[in-house]
Amino acid sequence: MPPFLELHDLDITYPPRKVIRELSLQMNCTGIGCLLGPSGCGKTTLLRAIAGFEPLRRGSIRLEGVKLSRPGWTLPPEQRQIGMMFQDLALFPHLTVTDNIAFSLRRWKTAERRARVSELLRLVGLEEYARRHPHQISGGQQQRVALARALAPRPRLLLLDEPFSSLDVALREDLAREVRTILLREGTGGLLVSHDQFEAFAFADEIGVLDEGRLRQWDSAYNLYHQPADRFVASFIGQGILLPGRIGENGRANTELGDIEGTPPGGCVAGDDVEILVRPDDVIHDDASPLKAEVAERAFRGAEFLYTLKLPSGARLLCLAPSHHNHPPGRRIGIRLDIDHVVMFRRNWSVRCVESPPVPAS
Amino acid sequence: MSLKRRSAQWPWHGLLVVILLGLAIGLWMATKQVNYEWRWERVPQYFAYHDEVAQTAPFTGRIVKVHPDGAYSQVEMIPDAGGSRAIITVETDTLRVADGAQVTEDQEIGVTRHWRVGPLTEGLWVTIWISFASGFIGLIIGLVTGLCRISKNPALRGLAVLYIELIRGTPLLVQIFIFYFFIGTVLNLDRTVAGIGALSLFVGAYTAEIIRAGIQSIPKGQTEAARSLGMSTAETMIHIVLPQAFKRVLPPLAGQFISLIKDSSLVSVIAITDLTKSGREIITSSFATFEIWFTVALLYLLITSVLSQLLFWLERRFARSD
Repeated sequence: MPPFLELHDLDITYPPRKVIRELSLQMNCTGIGCLLGPSGCGKTTLLRAIAGFEPLRRGSIRLEGVKLSRPGWTLPPEQRQIGMMFQDLALFPHLTVTDNIAFSLRRWKTAERRARVSELLRLVGLEEYARRHPHQISGGQQQRVALARALAPRPRLLLLDEPFSSLDVALREDLAREVRTILLREGTGGLLVSHDQFEAFAFADEIGVLDEGRLRQWDSAYNLYHQPADRFVASFIGQGILLPGRIGENGRANTELGDIEGTPPGGCVAGDDVEILVRPDDVIHDDASPLKAEVAERAFRGAEFLYTLKLPSGARLLCLAPSHHNHPPGRRIGIRLDIDHVVMFRRNWSVRCVESPPVPAS
Repeated sequence: MSLKRRSAQWPWHGLLVVILLGLAIGLWMATKQVNYEWRWERVPQYFAYHDEVAQTAPFTGRIVKVHPDGAYSQVEMIPDAGGSRAIITVETDTLRVADGAQVTEDQEIGVTRHWRVGPLTEGLWVTIWISFASGFIGLIIGLVTGLCRISKNPALRGLAVLYIELIRGTPLLVQIFIFYFFIGTVLNLDRTVAGIGALSLFVGAYTAEIIRAGIQSIPKGQTEAARSLGMSTAETMIHIVLPQAFKRVLPPLAGQFISLIKDSSLVSVIAITDLTKSGREIITSSFATFEIWFTVALLYLLITSVLSQLLFWLERRFARSD
């Protein structure tokens, strides 16, 4: 059985710039995925290529085994049975909510069309607003209309181009989860584009991290966090720092915080410099520990404090501690490492190292 | 607050009135200077007049009887040479014969009066219908050209650009002459057809640019949304882009049609008797130059302001449904 969505060795260019380079991915049959990346990484371009709005320079796109795009040939968007939810929603301002939803059903029989529209209105909870125009309903309601409109013709795959980015954070995750439920109920695949990892985690089974047109990793949220494939993924997903160390004779990494057991990156021999990914939850605050670090910064998070600690060498470390452990900056506190999944990268000065903690996604 | 604002505003209203009064007095003084004799009473007859038609005897004969019937009288007469009687209707106050009188053939018995449409009204009508006909044809030309202008096909796009540049780069007066003397002669066109043709082509080029801008002002997302919902390019244009674009281009289109009405005065140069040409003709017979030109200007103002009110109303109606 072919994969649900298969992108093979894609290149997309906006001359003279290559926006997507050598990108391949396979999405499974559950078909709820997400492309995650910083702005300008090419994720929207990739989504538009899947929708049929961007031609390919190289490679191919297949949906359920059927080829949709190859260099020099692009199946028109209207023949792909791929729905799309746009960042600006692109509701038709001159049509009512009902007419917006029914727009793609022009060729259906009247009775079937009516049934489908009322089914969708019920699904998104907008039965009372059927006769309104888009400007007469709220932003959240407009999102729902856009969703219902995109789902109306029963597309095989729904592409979502940051449709929730205009909503506040709390509502964003709720709606992402709600859309996920609706897609599963409708049996439609979904591919979301987002720069917000929490939205991605709430929505998708599989997530691809993109940077500068390349797919860095295509994996579950859990694996992206705990087994990032490279420095970029490690820094983009979650928080953490890279702790410098050196491979010892025993195969362990010697660091300022002691020896750490783990699999060194391929080709590493004793004496090579490495970096170990340390997440805030890997650092346990323990007064009894002989390891001490100085509190440099403290951020109150409600249930916990996020401490930025300074090690004697000057390296920094993030530590998540329950909020009853309240220490002012400058105090030295005891810590110990408890890393479940040790991730090591070879230290390579040609690649920008993540010395400071990445900015948390807001 | 509102009271304060009103008190701050009224001196300016006052100033406006003073300036307008000053202009009016200046105009009056100027006409005094040139010793112009105003004859406004001559103007109304050019809108409509009471025409008298002489009723004459159809044969030599005798009046049998005059039957007065209010304003009109029926004159019954029989021919001397024998044959059937004739009845002629004339206005009672112009009756020139009495019972038993002998009349010769073609002798005037009286007159009848009819209201006739004057040359100004006729010219006004010609201006209105020429403008509307060319506006309508121009709109169609503009729509087609506007669509060609944004087409992906280089031939269509090139033709559209060439046409628009040719028309916008030459004076309308020259276009009218070329259309009448060259194209009109080659194709053997009537002068009215030539006039409407020239105006349509002229307004079509400007309309094309307005429509192109209107279509391009609709966000690309609208087209893409329609395409991803299974609509072809043409269906998208008809159901999504044009309805929204039309609403946006209505104000500039209205402006274009109002200018068209004014520009239509140029067709008077190829002897189409529109409002302007009627005015010129009347002046040659009445010598009421100032009065007629003022009247003509006022009539143009009347059509354009009625039209602009109408379009303003239409615009607001559309805006409400947005």
